[in-house]
Amino acid sequence: MISTTQRGFVYLLHPTPELWTLCLPHRTQILYIADISFISTYLDMKPGSTVIESGTGSGSFSHSIARTIAPTGKLYTFEYHAERTAAAAKEFEEHGLSDIITIQQRDVCKDGFGMENVANAVFLDLPAPWEAIASAKASFLKHRTGKICTFSPCIEQVARSVEALNENGFVDITMYECLVRSHDVTPIKKIDFADAIKAARQRQQHGKKRPLEDGEENEKVSEAELTETISTMLVSKTPQETRGHTSYLTFATFLPAIENNLEPSAADNLMETVAVDKDVPTNEEKETSN
Amino acid sequence: MAITPTTAAGSTKPTIVPVTTTTDDIEEEFPHIRENQYVLIHMPSGNVKMINLKPKSQVSLGKFGTFSSDNLIDKPFGLSYEIYDQKGNIRPVRNWALATVEETNANNQNILDNADVQKLTHEEVEKLKQEGLKGNMKHDEIINKIIESHSEFDKKTEFSKAKYIQRKRKKFMKVFTPVRPTLYSLAQFFFTKNPDKIKSMRVDTLSQIISLANVHANSKMLVVDDTQGLVVSAVAERMGGYGKIVGIHDGDHQNYDVMRYMNFSKRILESVHTIPLSKIDPNEPEEEFVPRSEEEVAAMSEGELRGYERRQKVAAAKAETRKLFFDGGFDGLIISSQYTPETVIKALVPYLSGSRRIVVYSHSKEVLLEAAHYMRKSTEYLAVDITESNLRQYQVLPGRTHPEMTTSAGGGYILSAIKIIDCPFDMSQVYSESNARRKKRRSEKQQKKKDEKALEDKEQTTEEKEKTLEEKPVEEVQKETDDKMDTKEDDVPTTA
Repeated sequence: MISTTQRGFVYLLHPTPELWTLCLPHRTQILYIADISFISTYLDMKPGSTVIESGTGSGSFSHSIARTIAPTGKLYTFEYHAERTAAAAKEFEEHGLSDIITIQQRDVCKDGFGMENVANAVFLDLPAPWEAIASAKASFLKHRTGKICTFSPCIEQVARSVEALNENGFVDITMYECLVRSHDVTPIKKIDFADAIKAARQRQQHGKKRPLEDGEENEKVSEAELTETISTMLVSKTPQETRGHTSYLTFATFLPAIENNLEPSAADNLMETVAVDKDVPTNEEKETSN
Repeated sequence: MAITPTTAAGSTKPTIVPVTTTTDDIEEEFPHIRENQYVLIHMPSGNVKMINLKPKSQVSLGKFGTFSSDNLIDKPFGLSYEIYDQKGNIRPVRNWALATVEETNANNQNILDNADVQKLTHEEVEKLKQEGLKGNMKHDEIINKIIESHSEFDKKTEFSKAKYIQRKRKKFMKVFTPVRPTLYSLAQFFFTKNPDKIKSMRVDTLSQIISLANVHANSKMLVVDDTQGLVVSAVAERMGGYGKIVGIHDGDHQNYDVMRYMNFSKRILESVHTIPLSKIDPNEPEEEFVPRSEEEVAAMSEGELRGYERRQKVAAAKAETRKLFFDGGFDGLIISSQYTPETVIKALVPYLSGSRRIVVYSHSKEVLLEAAHYMRKSTEYLAVDITESNLRQYQVLPGRTHPEMTTSAGGGYILSAIKIIDCPFDMSQVYSESNARRKKRRSEKQQKKKDEKALEDKEQTTEEKEKTLEEKPVEEVQKETDDKMDTKEDDVPTTA
């Protein structure tokens, strides 16, 4: 489609969550494809998954989740800011995603999620995710493993989240960073050094001669020589700046409910045994006995 | 042809993906490990094993012990199990969460660091191990003994003690956790164990490929996969059996080995169609399956009849796949292939709908440069980009949080672009006030002339014919443009 001044044109593109992420109106800082795609995979999202998300923010991740879990999955997303909730709800409606996404205005850190035994995966993008972890735990489907992810820009937040996850019985706690870098492709000339020396010498000699046709002809000859030897090769270059950090992604696994009633393995008692041994003979005593 | 649990008669056998279940695991209320399914066994040492749980068999975990498969079948994933006797019995135990260690003043200032500190001889330690394997000693007793004989143990820092105990635990603990194979767990497993199999495609790169290509239910995806099926498996999982996948492969049969470890349901397996390279040339005539006459069929023996029906089914499946491919209209094209990317793209992009992405993977960046350059120069591609993903894992422990000491050096490169339908620069496509007025006047003139001519003979001179062809009224041109847009702007797929 060409503009009226014939100087510009646009392409009409089919909407996808990836494109939406790049052009949606930012009401908050959003998630980009690197984090979105990695989290979706880590949390085992697929058609039929039930996912809980808080906060909704600008709905960048929400759109992607809805696409990934459709047609049989459900996304319950929570946002504590009234206007943002309304804006997101409107977008979901306009984009035909209201069957899959249910948005609720709620402060999950204060009031919890109010859901039990529904979720396969929980995603927390909050300033204080540790405050919502206990409630998140209750929301998981009890009879199968589940996955949780907290999204925090600061390492201190990560430390507190990990503590809370530990206290609430989550396992396989780990943390990742994911960043994408672009490479621009461009052709460059390959000029043989020996030829360049020759051409430079010739140019220098022309400067000494009188500027006649002779000199011009000679110059042309050397230019021709130069162009003969120029070939190009494709190279990739990195841009000047790139994204250095988005957030730390902390992951953990929720274990099925039966887990709570289990005996620890014999090996788990080891730590207590060792701690008790601290009361056993001190270093000095041991050395004298040896 | 669709992946079916039958073997095709012929020289090379296809990768058989057995159908172990009709339901998708995600839909089950009480999901559990089924017989003949694959399970990832995670052990405290960090090692992971892939096992197939055939019923009534013994599963060996090497020095960690052996257990009977029947004891694990029908149990839930995720719980940890301890092998507690020699007869292959297991019992669920609490997961070995990492113990948190508090900081103390213990430091290693005075520690002696040589082999003499461990008073037990090598033979004595071996003897302890044997006792453990025989079941005469519990492994925590063994570890205690070793610690007691370590004269410097108390001098270690708390961290160092914890590390020491962890190391010994990993060596002696007979506990494991069965993990459900999913896209993530499988991709990690192969990337660690056998990266060459999957062309060193790391899980974050794979995730981005799936996202970029907008893989979702009820779409139609075209895949060229040389990662032994990791990409096809990822696409299949994300489509959940809704929609269709066509995989183009070398050789007579697909080698999507990774697919069988996913424990896919019948529905998901049936969404994957494969077509060999030899059959995607549109100029090749289709193989005709010659159906036999009724009398011939009646005259067949039972064996012959079964063979005939099987061949009929296979031919029908092949024809269906061929039609799927040549019908085109794919929603995404994903390529990971040994062949030069721009040649693959040129051959397959005609089957892709407009405004849909092509995503090419290569472990080496140089392979993608030519294709990227070609697409950048061409007016048929938008947003051509080569990206590289970096993934960094951190250990998170109180007071000991830092990135992992060793990590993957690279996970591959992605070249992506959007196919667009470019309208060649055509003045009549440009809407402007002056143009519109001029065109309106022209069309009115035309109409007048037409009416006049209609009264006489309806023969137009060649000149006037050309004129009418050139100067179409703006509304018509607008509609043409809209029609073109409609072909690439399909209705939003049924995600709702």
